[in-house]
Amino acid sequence: MRFQDAKPDGRAIVYAHIQADALVARAAALLEGATTVQRVLARAAMNGESTEASAWRAMFPTLFGAAAPSPGDPVRDRSEAILAVALEVADRGEQTRSQFRGAIVEAVTERLIASRTGPVRRERRILFDGRPAEIHPYDVTVEAEVRPEAWDCKWGARGIKADVLHQLDDARRGAADEGGALIVGLVVFDARRSCEVRLVREKGAVSLEGLKVIALEGLERLAGRKPA
Amino acid sequence: MVPTVGDCVIRAIAGLDVLAATAEAVEDEWQYVTDLGTVWRGRFGQVVALRGSEPAPPGAPEAMEALVAEAALITDPHRAIDWLSTLPQIALAALGESA
Repeated sequence: MRFQDAKPDGRAIVYAHIQADALVARAAALLEGATTVQRVLARAAMNGESTEASAWRAMFPTLFGAAAPSPGDPVRDRSEAILAVALEVADRGEQTRSQFRGAIVEAVTERLIASRTGPVRRERRILFDGRPAEIHPYDVTVEAEVRPEAWDCKWGARGIKADVLHQLDDARRGAADEGGALIVGLVVFDARRSCEVRLVREKGAVSLEGLKVIALEGLERLAGRKPA
Repeated sequence: MVPTVGDCVIRAIAGLDVLAATAEAVEDEWQYVTDLGTVWRGRFGQVVALRGSEPAPPGAPEAMEALVAEAALITDPHRAIDWLSTLPQIALAALGESA
């Protein structure tokens, strides 16, 4: 088993510019240390219609209401910063913000995993002897000698599709056939409950036993921490 | 009369209904839309069973109104599908519940 850079096509080149945008890095840094409710705020505001911060503050009384931490408190300040960055993403227009959202989930994933292990890489293919090369690269990989990992990242549970599950399962089995072990998983910036609904429909014949699914409430697990 | 947790859930489900009606335009996802509605209504049902008669937490009734208003703004069926998962998470957070 070996890792390899993906061959860049037109889409990948355009997407690479989005991945490198400072807004993505700023959002990822804020979301890495966010609470679950703060992450839900980001998810909502990045894909909402309202552009007024006041509407979002009303929807999240535990972050911005009378009983929330006061301005100046680090938790409150992070909530405000997350709201601002989410509205900045939403302001990019429908198609572009969709790409930004995906890039942000990947960047958060990379940061959390990198706090636990390494080396962490992006957009890498995995090759196995005697098997045709996969077309699609994995979003985030850990290319360690012991316990390598391959992760795909999704904005929402709807992004969990049969082909994604097949590819991850194939990689896991490919590593096992070579006598190794590859941890494979999906990181989904959505509620676990919605992910489970989708998995039931999309799994087909794929065994989910070897697949890790990290949902919005459990992102800390990527860093080796228990969710708060 | 003081709004209760149950009152808030009724408003949240109204928002969920609006989104489900918008999302149904995506025929390929009809089953997923239906399943999402079922599981999240079930989660709301659990909250009502345990806390329905409790006074709503501060800000929660206003949060539900803002949430239902946001759901009504969503006209794109694909975004509505995404919001079928997002809306319950926001509503439950406002009630101090996990998703």
